[in-house]
Amino acid sequence: MRHSNVIDIRGLNSYYGNRHVLFDIHFAIPANRITVIMGVSGCGKTTLLRHLIGLKPSPPGRLLVDGEDMGGFNEARMNQYRSRIGVLFQSGALFNSMSVADNVSVPLRVHSKLSRETIRIIATIKLHQVGLSEYCDYMPSQLSGGMQKRAGLARAMAMDPEILFVDEPSSGLDPITAAGLDNLILELRDTLGMTIIVVTHELESALHIADQIVVLDKGRLLAAGSPENIQSSQDERVVQFLQRQADQKHEDTEAYIKALVGRKLRQL
Amino acid sequence: MLRFVRMLGAAALDGIENLGRLGVYFWFMLRGLIRPPGKFWPVVKQIEFVGTKSFFVIGFTAISTGMVLGLQGHYTLSKFGSESVLGAAVALSLIRELGPVLTGLMVTGRAGSAMCAEIGIMRIDEQIDALECMAIDPYAYLVTPKLIASLIAFPLLTAYCDVVGIFGGYLVGVGLFGLNPGVYMNSVQSSVLWEDVYMGIVKSLCFSVLMIWICTYKGYYTGLDEGNFGPEQVSRATTKAVVLSSIAILLCDYMVTSIMT
Repeated sequence: MRHSNVIDIRGLNSYYGNRHVLFDIHFAIPANRITVIMGVSGCGKTTLLRHLIGLKPSPPGRLLVDGEDMGGFNEARMNQYRSRIGVLFQSGALFNSMSVADNVSVPLRVHSKLSRETIRIIATIKLHQVGLSEYCDYMPSQLSGGMQKRAGLARAMAMDPEILFVDEPSSGLDPITAAGLDNLILELRDTLGMTIIVVTHELESALHIADQIVVLDKGRLLAAGSPENIQSSQDERVVQFLQRQADQKHEDTEAYIKALVGRKLRQL
Repeated sequence: MLRFVRMLGAAALDGIENLGRLGVYFWFMLRGLIRPPGKFWPVVKQIEFVGTKSFFVIGFTAISTGMVLGLQGHYTLSKFGSESVLGAAVALSLIRELGPVLTGLMVTGRAGSAMCAEIGIMRIDEQIDALECMAIDPYAYLVTPKLIASLIAFPLLTAYCDVVGIFGGYLVGVGLFGLNPGVYMNSVQSSVLWEDVYMGIVKSLCFSVLMIWICTYKGYYTGLDEGNFGPEQVSRATTKAVVLSSIAILLCDYMVTSIMT
């Protein structure tokens, strides 16, 4: 029987060396829904995404995929999981040495036994879905930032993944292109029933596409719920985030002076 | 004092960790031989990059080295009245020693640095992460075809270097000093044994593995230690890759020579 939550995160902590970046994160990602992970820059969104796609190892028992512990995945099981997912990286991460169509063809060429012609047709269809079918033979460097992102999305969709991870789809894009990407994400959920996880700090986009919003702040889970729940939240930080209010400066004068002259004092 | 000991300890631990990682990397590179994707076309492409595109630089290096060997050899041998063995001196120096070493160093500078930079850029641009997320083994996809191509191209380039170098010696010996062409070629033919050629082949194979191992390793781990993924890390990794590969080639040259002599 299919699990209603595709991914369960249960008390996930994460570190870079000695630096603690995620603190006891709890939430679930429901199937066939769009979950948006939000928060200010540096709050740990991308680190959380790297755990979810298996690029950063998760401790045992903290991250469950269809009820199975991702921390216990061996390489073969991880590859099996990865063959179910598609990932759009923040930069697009297209291979610069090959054309856009070849980029989209890479996973198909490696994982399927389809003929070259069939793969080419599938790649063109995927590029058509993102509005880039006329740019099949272009090199990534010949495309604009928005086009590169859309091409990256076409590649992420090449194997018709069950779960799609999208990192900052609208950052650096003009409002029209960003809205087009939002509509495409909604279309993928509605027509293909994909489970989509979007990492963003674009408030408007998040409220437009999300079925569930998760708000992170300084590595901690601040709130999780439907867009309506988040909008009616009384939490000070959530309100501040929703109303786009800047942080008050609480400068520690002593620490500031120490940072300025500390090195010099040590030398003296 | 305590600080110095602590620094020394940390450096030693770092060194051991790096060596271990280098060993694991080598195993993953070999494991890529039996893993998808198919390697035929990537290997052909890499042979073109490592081999065909190195033809000019290797040819130029070989002919100038052969000519210098001809000049120096003639100067030395003429003191003993043994100019007739100039062909043997040039051929043996090139086949046993200079051919593989010069090929190794030149290809490291031309192709090894480019491979390191290419993989390094893929690392900082999340392209290697993208490969992993597509359930594609990055070692099998990126590194192993380069290894196979180098194992094919290096011995061929070395042979080409030897032949062009011997021709360079011929130009100087016969063209400049008026040696008999038959004497020069006969001296080459009678002095070069299969063992000499075999040593050159073994060296070139060892150098190709070393170059690919070190250059792609440095590219693959670009910025991971510093936790900083920028262009500066790529340039630093490329410099380190070329320097370390060159040192490794020279050390390996001595070891292979001492074992096989």
